[in-house]
Amino acid sequence: MLSGEIIFIIVLILSLYGVVVAISFFAVRRMKQNLKKKEIDARHRMYELAILKEISDRTGYSLNIQKILDVIAGSLNQFLEYSVAGYMLIGADKIIFKADLERSVSPQFIKDVRMRMLKSLEAILGVSVPDAQVEETITGAVMLETVLEPVRSYFNIPLVVSGKLAGLLTIAHTKEGLYKEEEIAILYKIVNQASRAVSKLEDVVRTEQSKVAAMLEGMVEGVVMTDRDYRVVAANPSAKEVIGYTQEGMPTFFDFTTGLKDTFDIKTKLEEATKLDKVLASDDIVIKGKHYEVLVSPVKANTGPAKGQILGGAVVFHDITHEKEAEKMRNDFTSMMVHELRSPLGNIKKIGEMLKSKEIVENKELSAEYVGMLYESSSTMLDLVNDLLDVSKLEAGKFDVDKQQVSIKELIVDRVKFFDTSAQGAKIELSSYFGERVPERVLIDAKRIVQVVNNLLSNAINFTPQGGKVMVACFMHKKGFNIDEEAHQQNIQWFDVDERKISSAISDCLVVAVTDSGEGIEHENIGKLFNKFTQFSSSIREREHKGTGLGLVVAKGIIEAHGGTIGLGSKEGAGSTFYFTINL
Amino acid sequence: MSEIIGKQIVILGPEIAVLRARKVPEISLSEDGKVVDVKGDPDEVLNRLIDTYVELSGEIVTNALGTIFTKYPSIKRAA
Repeated sequence: MLSGEIIFIIVLILSLYGVVVAISFFAVRRMKQNLKKKEIDARHRMYELAILKEISDRTGYSLNIQKILDVIAGSLNQFLEYSVAGYMLIGADKIIFKADLERSVSPQFIKDVRMRMLKSLEAILGVSVPDAQVEETITGAVMLETVLEPVRSYFNIPLVVSGKLAGLLTIAHTKEGLYKEEEIAILYKIVNQASRAVSKLEDVVRTEQSKVAAMLEGMVEGVVMTDRDYRVVAANPSAKEVIGYTQEGMPTFFDFTTGLKDTFDIKTKLEEATKLDKVLASDDIVIKGKHYEVLVSPVKANTGPAKGQILGGAVVFHDITHEKEAEKMRNDFTSMMVHELRSPLGNIKKIGEMLKSKEIVENKELSAEYVGMLYESSSTMLDLVNDLLDVSKLEAGKFDVDKQQVSIKELIVDRVKFFDTSAQGAKIELSSYFGERVPERVLIDAKRIVQVVNNLLSNAINFTPQGGKVMVACFMHKKGFNIDEEAHQQNIQWFDVDERKISSAISDCLVVAVTDSGEGIEHENIGKLFNKFTQFSSSIREREHKGTGLGLVVAKGIIEAHGGTIGLGSKEGAGSTFYFTINL
Repeated sequence: MSEIIGKQIVILGPEIAVLRARKVPEISLSEDGKVVDVKGDPDEVLNRLIDTYVELSGEIVTNALGTIFTKYPSIKRAA
């Protein structure tokens, strides 16, 4: 009985011991497993941190995604076993494919990886990606035809920047079923973190770009900015206008090369400016009928670690069409003046040659006629030279008037008398009118005002047909009243001169006006009358009375030097009124 | 569902695409990633399957699912 109990106790103790040993064994094993898992987790975490730090150190999380991918691909062997680690990056006009061979594989293996990556890109993008667009770079171990192992394990990680697919990272191996989900997930995490950082940077850059765009918006010059890969990063409305781009949004670089085709090779110029590191200017580039001065400049970083590095290029289109037109006008004016001077000079020379002849000198009647012609030609030339000198003085601000108290009535009566002979010859009725309260004497430079009245009267007679009328009117203007109404109240021959109804603001003054019943002036040509460079074809009698047009320019200068205003009103087919004011 | 997994196999690679699909307990898969059985509401299961891919690689992977969204309008589309 006692021995039976002892045996039971021994068995019980042994059983308990066995249970304790078993529990301890499993606990230790579980602990070991946990430790191992923790160790792996720690290793993964360490790798994750190390690689993110390396990306940050080596790229500063720049916008260069390729650099980031190079860092990731270059450090993968610390963490994963693979045959090939590669990436594809979607560029503006190509796809960069780079594969790093950890061990030798066959060219077919690489071809297979490349094809799978392209198919992945196509599936995400939903468009066909031609293999011809791929630019391939292989690094690491050599490719061997003899290695016949196919792709047995592989996975892709899409690289998304700012919501758009930027590329793909791929890991491939000749062994089957190699990759565990945790490892793949860590790599995804790293790539996603890098993508997020780049996306954030891109957001910052986009914000800055929108600021630049806002600044460029109002510029008269067309401005286009590109990055190093010739992607347009900014283009203002004026630049769009240069190439005739009418759609919404930003034009592409292709739009610019097409829009500037055969006129300006924008890509070559940008390449040249970047290579030479200087601003290149191209004068007088004609684009769609307009003239431009085009400046092409490299754009460099001026701060940060990339200081001095080329970031892209800028092209500025400066519209010089108006300058070119002005230049043409100046050239035309010079040609006209030369022509106007050459004509009387030619006459003088011919008459001089004739006067050398003894026969003519002895013929008093003939020689007197030639001397008269000589006088006329030299007077024409002198008038022209005087006009030119006056214009030149006016432009230089050196035109002075010598004001004296003069009888304006006498001055006008004298001028009417002077032109009466030529008016009668042209069968034109020439008259004068003086309103009430016209003062006896006014403070003017008589010589210069005579010059103005002469010019207005001679133009009026020249451009009035036979049977027409020319009137010189002189009346008082009162501030607060309209000149046209004042003229109509006096029932004088008149064409309204105050289209903008501003004459009531003019202080009390004397108005002198010459009105004709000639052919009138087209509305669009009125503004050209007082411009020295603009001549217009106005009359069928133009050949008869062709002039330089300087007379009115000088008249304007004289009246303004007196503090008055000069202007006109006209009705086509009916006549014109030219007027000026003299301050009292 | 086999179509979705098939597309993800092209995009992500067969191993990870099938591993992720296996995370949806209502779906039974063959060795090559074909769906052999679905338990519960198919629409819900389909959404769960898409979610598991989006969780891994973001909304971009749903780009390839345009035809499936058209075929099954009840599936949630990324906002």
